[in-house]
This record gives sequence, structure tokens and C-alpha cells, in this order.
Amino acid sequence: MKFINITLISALAFIGLFTSLKAEEMTGKTIMEKVYYNPSGEDTQGELTMSLINSKGDTRVRKLMQYTKDDGKTEKKIMFFLSPADVRGTSFMNWSYTDGRDDDQWIYLPALKRVKRISSDSKGDYFMGSDFTYDDLGDRHPDDDEHKLLRTEKIGEYECFVVESVPKDEDYMYSKTITWVMKDNYLGLKREFYDDRDKLLKVLNIKKFENISGFWTILETEMHNVQKDHRTQMLFDEVKINNGIPESKFTERTMTVGK
Amino acid sequence: MKLSNKTLLAFSWISLLLIVTATAFFTYQMKTYSRMETDLDEYMPKDHPAFIYSDEAEELFNIKDGILIAVENPEGIYNTSTLQKIKDISIGLQDMDEFDDADIVSLYTADNITGSEEGLDVRAFYKKSPKDEAALEELQTSVRSNDMVYKRLVSENENIALVVASMNDDVFSMEFYHRILEFAKSYEGPEKIHIAGVPIVEGTMAYLGPADMKRMVPIVLLVIIAVLYFVMRSVKNTVLTLLVVGLSTVWAFGLMAFLRIPVYAVSTMMPVMLIAIGVADGIHLYSHLNLHLKANPKISKFNAVKDMVSSMWKPVVMTSVTTAVGFVSLLTSDVYPIKYFGLFTAFGVMAAMFFSLVLIPSGIIIFGVSTPKIKEEKADKEEKTKFSHRFARSVIKHKYAVVGVTAVIIIVSALGINNIWINSSFLDKFEKDSDIVQTDTFINQNFGGTNTINVVLESKEADAFKTPEYLRLIDELQTGVEGLDIVGNSFSLSDYLKRMNKVMNADDPEFDRIPESKDLVAQYLLLYEMSGDPENLWKVVDYNYNKANVNFQIKSDNSKEINKVMSEIEKYRECFENNGITLNYAGSGYKALVFTDLILIGQIKSLFMSILIVIILIAMMFKSITAGLIGSVPIVITAVISFGLMGLLDIPLSTTTALISSIAVGIGIDYAIHFIERFKIYAQETKDLDLTVVKTMHHSGRAISFNAVVVIAGFLVLLSSVFPPNRSLGALVSLNMFTSFIGTVTIMFLILYRSGLFFKNKKGGLK
Repeated sequence: MKFINITLISALAFIGLFTSLKAEEMTGKTIMEKVYYNPSGEDTQGELTMSLINSKGDTRVRKLMQYTKDDGKTEKKIMFFLSPADVRGTSFMNWSYTDGRDDDQWIYLPALKRVKRISSDSKGDYFMGSDFTYDDLGDRHPDDDEHKLLRTEKIGEYECFVVESVPKDEDYMYSKTITWVMKDNYLGLKREFYDDRDKLLKVLNIKKFENISGFWTILETEMHNVQKDHRTQMLFDEVKINNGIPESKFTERTMTVGK
Repeated sequence: MKLSNKTLLAFSWISLLLIVTATAFFTYQMKTYSRMETDLDEYMPKDHPAFIYSDEAEELFNIKDGILIAVENPEGIYNTSTLQKIKDISIGLQDMDEFDDADIVSLYTADNITGSEEGLDVRAFYKKSPKDEAALEELQTSVRSNDMVYKRLVSENENIALVVASMNDDVFSMEFYHRILEFAKSYEGPEKIHIAGVPIVEGTMAYLGPADMKRMVPIVLLVIIAVLYFVMRSVKNTVLTLLVVGLSTVWAFGLMAFLRIPVYAVSTMMPVMLIAIGVADGIHLYSHLNLHLKANPKISKFNAVKDMVSSMWKPVVMTSVTTAVGFVSLLTSDVYPIKYFGLFTAFGVMAAMFFSLVLIPSGIIIFGVSTPKIKEEKADKEEKTKFSHRFARSVIKHKYAVVGVTAVIIIVSALGINNIWINSSFLDKFEKDSDIVQTDTFINQNFGGTNTINVVLESKEADAFKTPEYLRLIDELQTGVEGLDIVGNSFSLSDYLKRMNKVMNADDPEFDRIPESKDLVAQYLLLYEMSGDPENLWKVVDYNYNKANVNFQIKSDNSKEINKVMSEIEKYRECFENNGITLNYAGSGYKALVFTDLILIGQIKSLFMSILIVIILIAMMFKSITAGLIGSVPIVITAVISFGLMGLLDIPLSTTTALISSIAVGIGIDYAIHFIERFKIYAQETKDLDLTVVKTMHHSGRAISFNAVVVIAGFLVLLSSVFPPNRSLGALVSLNMFTSFIGTVTIMFLILYRSGLFFKNKKGGLK
């Protein structure tokens, strides 16, 4: 269980360098590195609306306020549930470390009036019943996969590189992913995930992105599990980047008092 | 008939050619398009409300049947190699195309959620099989303190661990069945591996039944051939009679294949029906021919055939049409395989009629009359005549005894019918000492149970099942039903909440209860979604928290036991309904129960209907309602005794045993019609009741006894089968043949005699 990395920006690992490129020799690897090393702001805040939709069209909607701060060594994140009413005030905090240490996580349940630490070893698990695994939400280092530029292709008005990434770790939950990376901003526009039997499992589509305070930011995205016909839509609103969130925001005390 | 011999010969060759061509066509269809349907769900009527509900619930909560692989180590499972084996089996199953990773539940895949003063800890029990004593001991301790796992996946004595693989019926195939058995077996030693669960039981049955049949059928056929030869004393006649049966079966299955209708388990009863019914026509035809030849030894084969056809076509057509109509009445069943069974058996019966009236005469014309052992026949003819005459007279003489014995038998049987019960159990079809029953018992002794019943609760309010009051009610239901010995354990949303409550309160057993407030329930659930595997949650509650699934594990699939559990559950119905919550059932065990009921109701409905139709048909054929009523006597007696004996011997009704009652109709009518038709002919010929009864007994009674002897001898062979359902099949078919036969030549004969039917004045008679 990890609440890590569900940042607006780094979350989807799709922010690209805003450098326009000449048609220089691009390999799969260099493209994915450009995607990975996109600058993200030091801190981000915003309102996240997460809709879970099952095959019958039943929908559950959760709204939460999210704050992230990254000093290059530790990424700190805190989330406050706004709705539904029965979980309002529930909060989670996650600290993840670049040095490979396990994440630290806390939870506050207002009905229990207590902050508890949570430790977990299940990294492949799905995030809050959504179609995103914690891994999907995080940045996957380009060195973890072998990349191959398959072709270039247009999606709508966007010219994209199509890159296939095969994990070096054979036991990884996906046998491969295919990513469509926009040529002009190095932002991923679409990604297909294949399961361990090489069958298409999920499709991620970016529906809306914007440049906020100089950073390419994804505002609306949908993950569709095609095998279960389950969807997760994430909508980011009132996004503010580099707004100067104080370090004191990320404490157990803040968790208990709400946003 | 004024056909020249030449025309007859030409006609014979043409018919033979046409039959061969058509048979080739049907054989080709059968070879190319026949397909066995083993998915039991395919048998169920999709539009029945109980099935619609259950199917929806199964999909919603991902209710599947589980294959259980038990790893037993008498030294205990807490050692490096046994734990490694549990891991290997779990991963091996996850790697199979038939399973998703989440379908496999074992100590290796389970999450261990524990709580302490400052926090909550979610992790696997082990990832790499622990190597040192301390780690093994730690694992043992954590299993013992987690009742989501202890006694569910690890036995109380800690010698057995369970790997549960959930699967849908529709991916189950014979190939998979063998593959999974092989897979389990490959982990044998030093640990013992047991494999059980509903899919395995169904698979074993689907495998063993036909395999046993394959072994038995040649023997059955051989015995039938031998006895047929013994009564017919002619190779040609035997071959032609068998051809009638064989070809009608090929045509029936061929037509099914041509119409792309799959072969269902019940369809395998078709040859059984066609053998029992199809030999009758041939026996009656040849019996007539032989009697005629004996009376007119000089007659040409053409004239002999002409006489045979002209005097026998009527009873052959009448018996076949009524039998076919009897089977067509199965169309009233709600169950498609049974409808098809009725329809295609009826087609087979009509095909058999066609062969009897075309193939047999053509065969005789082309290959000549078989007149072997005429001398011998002549020698014992007197004696035989005497026997049938003696028999007829003695039945009449002891009429009170006959009526009395029949009455007693009927009354006793009727009492037996009261005891009859329905069993949809698969396991009860196996021998008590068979591997599959023993494995099942073994797992049931050590774990919750190999079978499940799902109770689906539904409220109109959204978030209803976040209400502590309702959750407590579910908890009470579980506690109450778990009080039954047969119920091993149960599982619901309440269990998750009790566990979360305990864990979040530093594992204090005091908090092993439903949380007090709705908000806390909601927040625990949110936490579980984030920290545990939310997929697990959707097995017990739906998206909007207004439908809940309570799962009961049961140690038997016997219908009596399942009904006991259900009546215990019913006690809580009112409590739920008072809170606006409906209670329904789902799952394969429940469906099997409803399904069996449906089949039986349909079967009994169609039995009554076919008796009614038969009475009307016979009444029309003989232009006499009395004849119709008399004709129904053997059927009624056969059916009553058949069901009665099952009740008395505590043999439960099942789909197969119920279907055998169709045989009672099919054969009972045949006997009755042949007998009444002969009686009518002799009555008109002799105008003498005394002469009519003895002649009828000699002509029809003899043929009927041949028919009965041939089929009974054949089916008695099945008594040596290793598969109990095949044994009861053999016993019941033989019994039905026997009672039909005895009923016809005794009580029906007597009633016919007393009725004076076909005699204008009723004075003629025996002293």
C-alpha cells in the first residue's frame, strides 16, 4: 500500500522537456529519458476528483485535496478526503525517499480520532480500488526497461513517438508497455499495458493537459482496464504549482485538523 | 398388395441404397459436428428467475467454484520445503491461462493484516520460504493469530495447507481436468497432495461416467446380441434387428449434429432408450414371420414378407407413434437438454419404425428368409405352445391372486413414493470408498467445507451495508447458521469490519466486533480499499454498498443437507425483511438444487401428460376408451413400481433416474399395443374368447417375453459397472422392462379378458 507519487505532475511520468527538437537521432531510450527527466515544480496542490466506473456503469466518486512537496531527496504528500460525506476528513500522508528506503505512511480516521502508521509490502496493488497500481502512478526509471522506438504516429492533432518498453525484470506485473509520446512536449498521451500473458490489460489516455506556471501538467486522464471493463477517471482542478507549501503541512498534526 | 416379386426386389435394393446413403450422411454429420457439452450451466434454463438472479449475483460478486489442492505433511507444514511447495503450487496455478492471479488463494498469496499500538501492518505471510527456525516459528505464530487464514487455509493441526483456485464453469474442459490432476500430482512426495472441490467432482463424473460406459457398452451389446441370437436362432435376423437399433441411433445423433445441437450428458441416455425400444419391432416382426412360416412351410419369401408387413405394420406404427409422442411430451420441460432428448429420441423411435418396416422386409427379400433349425423349432413348438397356453389359463384361473398381488405391490409402492427424495448431489454418485469421496471427506474434516451456499442480501438504500445494525444482523445470521455441524465457516463483509476494528485497536480481541458508527465503518472500508486488496471486498459487497454476499462453506453437497442449511437461513429472513432487506440465494450448489427440482417437476408433468396422450391415442386406434384405459395399465404399474421401489430402497431421484421413467412409458405402450392388437385380430378371427386369449399369449406374449429377456439381459450387465449411476441405470431399466412385461401378461391381460373388449357378446369365455 502506497500513497506515493500520485502527484499531479510526476504521477503519470509524462511531463516532457519543453525543448523543441530537430529530427535528431532519437532512440526509444532517449525518448523515455526525456519523459522521465521532465522538470516538475517543487510543490503542487490541487483538487482531485476520482471516478471509479464498473462495467455496469455504476460510478463512485471521491474528491480529495492533495499537496505534494519534493526536495529532490524526499517526496512528501498529504491527501484530505472531501467527499463522500462518511469519509470526509480522512487523511493520508506519504513520504517516499529516493535512497531506496521503504515509504513512510500514516493514516488518520476521524471516526477513530487516531493517527496510525501503515506499513505494507504490496507494491503492485491497485491504488484505492482504482485501475492504477501504485507503480502506474509513480515514475518508472527508464533503466528498468529495454526501450524500442516502434514508429511515429499521429493521435488526433499530435505527432507522437510510439515506444515499446519491456521490463528487464521478468517477474514484473506487465510483460510490456507501449507509450505514445508527443513530439513537441515529451508528454505521454497514451499508454497500453500488457499483462504477464502478453494480452492487452489496460489503456491509459490523457484527455486534458495544460502548461501551468511553465510546467506541463496533466489535468484529466482515464485508465481503462479492458479485461474487466473497469475505468478510473482522474480530474485535477485548481492546480497550483510552486505555491510555496510550508514543510509544516506534512505532519501528523495537520492530518488531524484537516486541510 | 399386388406388387410383383420383381418390383419388390427392386424396391428392396433401392431402399437399402437410400438407407446406406442417408446413414453415410448422418455418420459424416456426427463425425464432423458432434460436440459434447460439459458445462452444467449450459443445461440450465437461462430465463428462470432463480437462475437469472443467481447468475447476476455470481457475476457481481465473482462467485465461482473452487478447486481445492491440499498439501499434507504429517510432520507439519512449517518447514522450508513444504512452504516452498505451497508457493510453487500457488504460482503454478497463477501461471495457468484459466486463472487470474486473484483467483488463487493460499498462505502464500494471502495478506496478513496486523495491528499494533502505533500502526497497521499489511504484508505477505512469506515471500521466500523461510529457512531458519526463528522465521518458521514467527510465521506459525502469525498464522495462528489470524483467523482469516487459520483453519481456513491452514488446518487446525497445522499438518495441511490449502490452495484454493476459483474458476468459472465455462473454462472447465476435460483437457483442463486432466492437466490440473497431473499438475497436482507432480507435487506429490514426501508431502501428500489431495485435490477436491466442485469442479473436480463434476469433472470426475463427466470423465468416469462415459469412460465406464465405453467399457460397458460393448459387453452390453454382446450380451444383447447373444440373447437376441438365442431367441431368434438366426444370424441374419439378429443382424437386421441390431441394425434397426444401431441405425436409428446414428440417425438421431446425426440429425442432432446436422442441426448443430451439442451432445449433453442426458443425450447419452438416447441409445439406452433406443436399444430398449428399438429391438421390440424386430422381435415382433420376426416372431410373427416365424410363426407364419411354421404354419405355412411352403410359402415363398415374397409372400411371407407380404404377410408379415401387412399384418404387422399397424401395431409397429401404432407402438412407434405412441412411444414417440410420449417422448415428445418432454418438450414441456424447462430444460433444453431434456427437450432435445425427448425430441431426438422420438425421432430415433420413428427412424426405428421406418427401418423395421423397410429395412427388415428388404433385408429378407434380398438375403432370403432365415429358416434355421426348423426341425428343432418344430420339436419344441408343442411345448412352447403349451407353456404360453398354460400360462394364460393359469393367470385366468388365479385371477384373484393376480389382482391381489398387484394391489399389494401397488399399495406398497405408493407408500414408497411418499419417501422419495430428490438429490442433486454429485458426490453421492460415487462409491463411499472412492478416492474422490475420501478426499472430500478429508478436506471437510480439516477445513470449512468443499461446497458453498451464497446468501445475497439486498436493500434499496445506498450504503445500507455500512450501517452497523445491518452488519450485526449479518453477523448473527453467520453465527446462527455456523451452529449447524454441516456448516464449516462463513464469510461476509462483517468479518472484514471486525478484523479491521480489531487491527486498528492494537489487535485487542475486545474490538473483534462491528464498529459502532457508520462513519467508522466507511472509513475502515476506505482504509481496506487502500491497504488490502479491494478485489476481495467486491466478493462480499457491491459498489454501492446495498448488496451483500454472505458465503457459507458446507461439508456436503447432499440436497437434504443443503436444504437443512437453507431452512436455518430462512429463520433470519423476517429480521432482514423488517429492515427492508431482501434475502436470496446464489451459487452453483443452489442452482443445482433448483435445477434438479425443475427437471423432476418437468419429468413428472410429462409423465402424466404422456399417459393421458397415450390413453387418447390408444382409444382412437382401437376406437374404444376402454382399450385406452387398459393400454395405460402397464405404464402406470411400471412407473408406480419404479418410483415406489426407489422410495423404499432410499434411492434418491436424480436427473438420470427420473429420465428412466420415460422408458416405462415407451416400453409399456409397446407391450400393451402389440398385445391388444393381437387380441383384437384373434377376437375377430376366432370369435372365441378362450381361443383368443391363448393365441394372443402365444403370439404377442411370446414376442414380449423375448423382447424383455433381451433387454434385461443386456442391461443387467451394467450392474457390474464401477460407476454407481451406471449401475442404477442398469437396475432400473431392467426393472422397468420386467414390470412392463409382467404387468402386460398378467394384470393387463386379465383386465382385457374380463372386459370382453372386441367381443360383441360377452358370454364367450373360459370356465
